[in-house]
Amino acid sequence: MASIVSVNSLSVAYRSGGQDVSVVHEVSLEVAKGRTLALVGESGSGKSTIAATLLGHLRHGSRITGGSVQVAGSDVFALPARELRRLRGNTVAMVGQNAGHALTPSMRIGRQIAEAGGTVPVVELLEQVRLPRPAELARRYPHELSGGQQQRVAIAMAIAARPDVLVLDEPTTGLDVVTQRSVLDLIAALRDELGLAAVLVSHDLGVVAHMADEVTVLRSGRVVEAAPTRQLFARPQDPYTRRLLASVPRLDDTGLALVGETGEREVRPRADVPDDAPVAVRAQDVTIDYGKSRTVHGVSFDVRRGEVLALVGESGSGKSTLAWTLAGLRPPSGGTLTHEAGDLAGPAHRRPLSLRRRVQPVFQNADTSLNPRRSVGDAVRRPLRFFGTAADRTEAAERARRLIADVRLDPALADRLPAQLSGGQRQRIGIARALAGEPDVLIADEITTALDVSVQADVLRLLDDLRRERDLACLFISHDLAVVRGIADRVVVLRHGVVVEEGPTEAVFAAPGHPYTRQLMAAALEPDPDAQPYVDDTLDWVDAADEDDLWTDQGDSHRVRRWRPLNAPVAEGVS
Amino acid sequence: MFSFIARRTAAGLGTLLLSSVLVFLAVQALPGDVATQVLGKDATPDAVSALRGQLGLDQPAWERYVDWIRGALHGDFGTSLVSAKPVGGEVAMYLGNSALIALITVLFAVTGSIVLGVIAGLYRDRWPDHVISTAGLVGMSIPEFVVATVLVLCFSVALPWFPAVVLYGPEASVGQLLPAVWLPALALAIVMAAYIVRMARTSVIDVMASEYVTTARLKGLSTWRVVTRHALPSALLPTLHVIALNVAWLAGGVAVVENVFNYPGIGKLMLSSVQNRDLPVIQAIALISAVVYVACNLAADLGAMALNPRLRTRGRTR
Amino acid sequence: MTTLDTPPLTVVAPGRAARAWRTLRSSRTALVGLAIVAVHVVIALLAPLLTSYDPIANDASHALLGPSWSHWAGTDQYGRDVLARVLYGGRYALGVSVTATVLTVGLGTVLGCAAALRGGWFDDVLGRVLDAVLSVPAILTLLVVVTALGTGPLVIVLAIAVVYVPQVVRVVRGAALAVVPADYVTAARARGEGTWAILRREILPNITDVVCVEFAMRASWVVLLISSLSFLGFGADPPTPDWGLMVAENRTAITVVPMASLAPIIALATLVVGLNLAADGLSKAWGVDRLREGS
Repeated sequence: MASIVSVNSLSVAYRSGGQDVSVVHEVSLEVAKGRTLALVGESGSGKSTIAATLLGHLRHGSRITGGSVQVAGSDVFALPARELRRLRGNTVAMVGQNAGHALTPSMRIGRQIAEAGGTVPVVELLEQVRLPRPAELARRYPHELSGGQQQRVAIAMAIAARPDVLVLDEPTTGLDVVTQRSVLDLIAALRDELGLAAVLVSHDLGVVAHMADEVTVLRSGRVVEAAPTRQLFARPQDPYTRRLLASVPRLDDTGLALVGETGEREVRPRADVPDDAPVAVRAQDVTIDYGKSRTVHGVSFDVRRGEVLALVGESGSGKSTLAWTLAGLRPPSGGTLTHEAGDLAGPAHRRPLSLRRRVQPVFQNADTSLNPRRSVGDAVRRPLRFFGTAADRTEAAERARRLIADVRLDPALADRLPAQLSGGQRQRIGIARALAGEPDVLIADEITTALDVSVQADVLRLLDDLRRERDLACLFISHDLAVVRGIADRVVVLRHGVVVEEGPTEAVFAAPGHPYTRQLMAAALEPDPDAQPYVDDTLDWVDAADEDDLWTDQGDSHRVRRWRPLNAPVAEGVS
Repeated sequence: MFSFIARRTAAGLGTLLLSSVLVFLAVQALPGDVATQVLGKDATPDAVSALRGQLGLDQPAWERYVDWIRGALHGDFGTSLVSAKPVGGEVAMYLGNSALIALITVLFAVTGSIVLGVIAGLYRDRWPDHVISTAGLVGMSIPEFVVATVLVLCFSVALPWFPAVVLYGPEASVGQLLPAVWLPALALAIVMAAYIVRMARTSVIDVMASEYVTTARLKGLSTWRVVTRHALPSALLPTLHVIALNVAWLAGGVAVVENVFNYPGIGKLMLSSVQNRDLPVIQAIALISAVVYVACNLAADLGAMALNPRLRTRGRTR
Repeated sequence: MTTLDTPPLTVVAPGRAARAWRTLRSSRTALVGLAIVAVHVVIALLAPLLTSYDPIANDASHALLGPSWSHWAGTDQYGRDVLARVLYGGRYALGVSVTATVLTVGLGTVLGCAAALRGGWFDDVLGRVLDAVLSVPAILTLLVVVTALGTGPLVIVLAIAVVYVPQVVRVVRGAALAVVPADYVTAARARGEGTWAILRREILPNITDVVCVEFAMRASWVVLLISSLSFLGFGADPPTPDWGLMVAENRTAITVVPMASLAPIIALATLVVGLNLAADGLSKAWGVDRLREGS
């Protein structure tokens, strides 16, 4: 079949400090009509740059240094301005990563879609992307929609003029799992319905396996491997591809996957937490309010020494709020929060120093968690001196170097500024800083979310090693169930600030009892094109818990909040 | 939406109240006894104390403040110590003359500078940008009195097109003042435009680099449409407040320029009343300037609301 | 607590100095601007060596002369050498401006940071008061203060601080607000560090560039304001060599001896252009968008 997109040994560079820096190097690829090609790679692989060239777009300061891009028979970068405008929208259309930023804030949605051309009425387009009450929605402004709705509007805009090629640049990154799944399903349905060819840019191998016919793996602007999806996932040829694939955590791992240099994968059994391990932190009926609205409604859990407890939930579930409260940054409005050494209900500066140092947070975004104007060594030394865990300056310097070595980094990095480190290295320094107070409780708030998948695997392994070595209690907050399955010993599933299910990781994953948990698991995407959904049924349900009968006990401390199917008011819902 | 307007109006009124207190206190701190000053050094103590009583200077400060504010609300700003006429009428007369300059200045400076700023932003780092930015830098770097002097040199002395000084008093009619208005307005507009141009340029550059403008371009829209529909509303948003601040700045900026041209406006009145320690006039001018400042900011808020739907639709549910 | 800063500083300082130097070199605009300002400073300091004339000595027999070998820029109506007055004039302008700017920016930075970090009622009240000060035209405030307290340099410095501190507070507060939610500040809060320590260790180092740019820009405004004040006759007292005053004195004779007005204008404009170029270049090189913050 003839290719509708063909990129021939394309090279792109941008000028920086008087020198050409190559971003894309001799990349070639073809997409046939009606097929989907995925561009996969970690940050800095040049995948988004390539995708944008299909629309004849280059970032400010970049230029083509070789090769060509042909779409529907015309050389994109040789087209006169008028022709290029016609190509955009009519032949190729793009859905960007963050619809919240991609929609013009000052224009109504209907007008923005209508502007994209084509003859299909706006209301019909909105219906086509399965948005409810399209006529009313068309009169809204972008900020009045949720993230998922915004992305659907962006898709409606892209298909308005009925293009032949759809370029999807990380179309679901930043969306919650359930929303991501439904947006991907929508894209797939529209693609088939309209016979579109698609180029999908993603870092997420689960998304790629689910969507693509062919995959091109990129690394530092070069093609590493290109193959049909099934073949690539079943028999990856290049060691980089193998390592990349092996680094992706799976929902059915029974422990943390350790990945070797050439991509061999070994699942390490979970650490044994003795039954009599002391409870490090106990939360009981904790409620937290933001102004008048309550974000956490009576949550209880224990974290024992040497144990990783995962708080799982989508955005708005209150999981990060709980982390902040535990760290002493936002006082709870009710319930009790206690450490074995004292009360944790007060803000950090009211806690005694000896207690404060024992509960330490690690942050999500390694880019902003270190002061850009201070050396990373200083970031680690400061808490050593502040908490008095190091007696004097020389000892602090010595201890800081040792801590940096403890997080598997070269102590010589201590003199660097954060900007001179990679994201993974910065996150390790963030962990070293938290360890400086010699804590026994570590709060890890989405600490791997912003990292590339191979780096994520390394950081998870470090965390697992550290809690074994130091007998740390770890509150691990994540939206990613596969990550949780690998690292956590016990899981607490939160929804709108309410615990819907909790129990040992194995038990919860073996028999998820709450429909919400099941829905999360069903939405998760495995890096395998033939993967069956982890669970298949998802029911409509309503909460059926009342004051004195909250839980359905499933044994072995696995319990599920009471619920009932939406359509069967009497029946009690237990899987 | 209405709560936003209400909140801003309340904040503006609060500012006004506070600045009236500050103005009153500052003016009270002026040295020298007003009564002595009015009557001259040789006045008898009896005459001085009689005048003090007449001016209400023997009352406590807060009572005088309340009296002053109560009067001001009714348009009564007291009596000028110099001309012995009601301050309100006198200030209004000078203010009217200045308003003529201000109107022309704002009209030219605002429209011109937005156009130039947008052009500079769109042609970033190319020659139109270089020309406009350099001119802006020069405009910012030369004080008003220099601009005014140079303009006189060019357009009154070298080319006798406009009068160099105004020979009429404050009672002059619009027709008499009109020929003399252009040079002061031009001087003020040059200085004022320099700032607005720069702000408009930066925010156009910012917005043109935003994702939604890229998206609009990649939809295949024409540059004109991208700029007018997608970029400008957001780009003008931060410019609005700079415009408001600059319009408010005019209230003081006219002082220097009017002095150069001997133009009978509020700035000139300000200078002479400071020289003569004509306290009621100073107070009135300061209070009116504060009203102008608050009004400009409120107008900018309303403008922002027109451009930014977030401010309009707050409270509507998703 | 100060002592434990020393080791990191010795580690980071070369990097910081090198970074500052790299930025400077990379921005020709900033370099040119700073060079112009430096030339002005040197001239002001060395004025007695550069001219043998006394800037305030009247000489009626040599009044209103055009440029010549003995008087390069001619003389004014009192027979004073214009060049000498221009060279000495920088002393007053720079002296008062630098002092006033240091005071203004220093005070504004402290207040702005405090407002950003403390927030709450303190921020609200401060904002209201500063807005009230802003609402009265700067020139009027200045005139009233000068009339009340005299025209001494100290009074002018204080008056300028009153007039310009609110704007500095706004800019610095905006910059600090962008830093406060960063995770490293949160980490310091979770450690339970005090407000002052957070301000000094975490926030100030990250807004230094904003403060530097603010300094250069504010200095240019102060120079302009002081010269306007002198022009109106409320600044430097008459015999003092001052640029604004010179323009006021010689404006009427501009057709006879244009240099007497032009020379101080050129001096004034180059100084302000220099400051503006420095502010511009630095803000571009450091990525500080000063106009964005609504000065």
